[in-house]
Amino acid sequence: MQTSRAVKRLMVFLGERWAIVFLILLLAVFSLIAPRFFAVRNFSNILYYSTTYLLLAAGETFVIVSGGIDLSVGFVMGMVSVASSMIMRDLFAAGFSQPACMLIGAVAGLILGLIPGLISGMLVARFRVPPFIATLGMYGVANGVALNLSRGFPITFLPPRVGEIGNSFLAYVLPGRYFGFFRRPPDMSSQELRELVGILPTTVIVTAVVLAVFAFLLVRTPFGQHTYAIGGSRDAAMRAGINVPGHLVRIYVISSLFAAFAGVLYVFRAGIGNFTTMSASYELFAIAAVVIGGASLFGGKGGIGGTAIGVLILLTLENGLNIIGVQAFYRYIATGVILILAVVIDQLSPEQEAIRA
Amino acid sequence: MPDGSRSLASSGPSSPVLWIGRNWSLLFLLIELIVFGVFGLHFFSAENLQNILVASTTVLLLGVGETFVIISGGIDLSVGFVMGFAAVNCAKAMVLIQGAGLPEWTAVLLGAVAAVLIGLVPGLVNGLLVARLNVPPFLATFGMYGIAYGFSEIISNNTPISGLPALSGTIGNGYLLYILPGRFVRLFGRPDGLAPLELRRVIPVVPNIVVISLAFVGVFAFVLARTRFGQHTYAIGGSRDAAVRAGINVTRHLTRVYMLSSFFASVSGVIFVLRYVTGRADAGSARMLDAVVAVVIGGASLYGGTGTVRGTLIGALIIATLETGMVNLGIPTFNRYIAIGVILVAAVLIDQFFPELIEKE
Repeated sequence: MQTSRAVKRLMVFLGERWAIVFLILLLAVFSLIAPRFFAVRNFSNILYYSTTYLLLAAGETFVIVSGGIDLSVGFVMGMVSVASSMIMRDLFAAGFSQPACMLIGAVAGLILGLIPGLISGMLVARFRVPPFIATLGMYGVANGVALNLSRGFPITFLPPRVGEIGNSFLAYVLPGRYFGFFRRPPDMSSQELRELVGILPTTVIVTAVVLAVFAFLLVRTPFGQHTYAIGGSRDAAMRAGINVPGHLVRIYVISSLFAAFAGVLYVFRAGIGNFTTMSASYELFAIAAVVIGGASLFGGKGGIGGTAIGVLILLTLENGLNIIGVQAFYRYIATGVILILAVVIDQLSPEQEAIRA
Repeated sequence: MPDGSRSLASSGPSSPVLWIGRNWSLLFLLIELIVFGVFGLHFFSAENLQNILVASTTVLLLGVGETFVIISGGIDLSVGFVMGFAAVNCAKAMVLIQGAGLPEWTAVLLGAVAAVLIGLVPGLVNGLLVARLNVPPFLATFGMYGIAYGFSEIISNNTPISGLPALSGTIGNGYLLYILPGRFVRLFGRPDGLAPLELRRVIPVVPNIVVISLAFVGVFAFVLARTRFGQHTYAIGGSRDAAVRAGINVTRHLTRVYMLSSFFASVSGVIFVLRYVTGRADAGSARMLDAVVAVVIGGASLYGGTGTVRGTLIGALIIATLETGMVNLGIPTFNRYIAIGVILVAAVLIDQFFPELIEKE
């Protein structure tokens, strides 16, 4: 009896924390079998590439906790990336200073990013369109706008500082000879340049700060509590006096703002603006990360911390598989399987059984 | 809902409004044709009209499968990538069979059959997830969307498959009839030994892939409208509980419906191979949205229980006419994504606010 209860408690513990356990296992396994995996530079790489997904998935977390879904995030990101880089390019060509170009381009991109969320939110909250349909429509519209603006080509000739900032690090270390914040040592030989270690990409720090702010918003403020309440039971939330339609609109705006932020950050990282291709499937990875992080697609459950772990699992898997020479496309299969499994497990959980009964 | 429809139908003046509301898609198609006919160049030529039909086949095939799923109250987001999966499998199988020394026609036939059979697997999995494990349809098929795409890229090694039998292109780009006015009517090919001038005057009529597509669509229009299978699909979409109580094996039926959707996606993938003589993982990636939109334009409710193959056919023609017309007028075709997204949301809003417009079966 005693042992079976202990086993049960262990199972419950693992059931709740399986994501973090899985991430640690993944890191351990790849460290053992993949050469060059366990290195500062590689971990920094994983974080660098995870920023896009972290931002998309953080916005998606709010939507999923509220009981909805946002399929448009990937294309909103592409649309903002194209629009904001075009503004930077044109201002730069018109002779504005680099900081002015970047600032205006980035801010304009973020403001543009409010619009899709506002529309999706209105459709879902006021017109009762099912979230996946409203955002599927927005997926088409945002994709069309992005392709139309860019005519199907990447946006180039941006101010050179854009790429420099996006690829800078918090600190640079040349062991034994140099240490400095944000700035590479001047006049380096190519040999030294290769030995230079960058610590923490700037984009990762920016992403982490944004995530921390919104994690606080979700956990510690009435706004966050209302989001959980609506996801738990829309009717109950309404009866508790929450302005549900107004709140839902804000949630879809947050999701689309995060996508816009990911788009602007993409411009800084890549030094160009680009539309999102149909098979990039950003929305799949964002939603899967949220679900791996413990959110229920039926609403009311989830968190930014869990989502971040979900993203790191997906990106570590991709990075590790790449290093050991497995084709990158297995990640699509793995992600699809994980998503479905998470929903099946969620379905079979006692809480859902109780709701259905 | 019966009250609403009676009051609208009985009040005389509003019944034309009701008719327009119910047939807005047909009117929209006519308006589209008129606008492009007036402003476009040679829009009403036999060649251009046949181009519209060819352009509509992919959306039509994906849409007919999707029609069954949506009528049953579900949705299938995986159709675009299942189409790519079938295209890759079909091309690969044709290359392998031809490489084994078999004649071209065997390679084409067996490749097509193999692709369609393998293409049933994603549908089977979707169906089992939805029907047995109660996974919400858009999630089960969204997971499959990633899985099918991953497998296609791996099978194709991330490059379009080439080296297919030339016969596939001959079929895919051929026509049913070739007519030289006053001289001959020939099936499936131009006669040999024609002078260059005569060759140019031969009019090809009805593309083969349109014939193949319409054959499948016709059969399943019949299945949906006239057989027990179709009636059960409507019943399940109308009320799953009632369908269970009426003794329908809902689990098995839903599994078949999702397999049917995959089947149509696979046929569409095979046709892609015939037409372009290559297999690509992203063959249908842009088409999932189109398929759902065609069904919704055709009057199906996303809440299940309504929809027809005829409606979906009109929806597919609207999308194909839009695309062809935009190319004709020199408008960048990117704009069609915007139009299609807006149409989807508008159709759902109409559905929400004017439920009496939907024809109940």
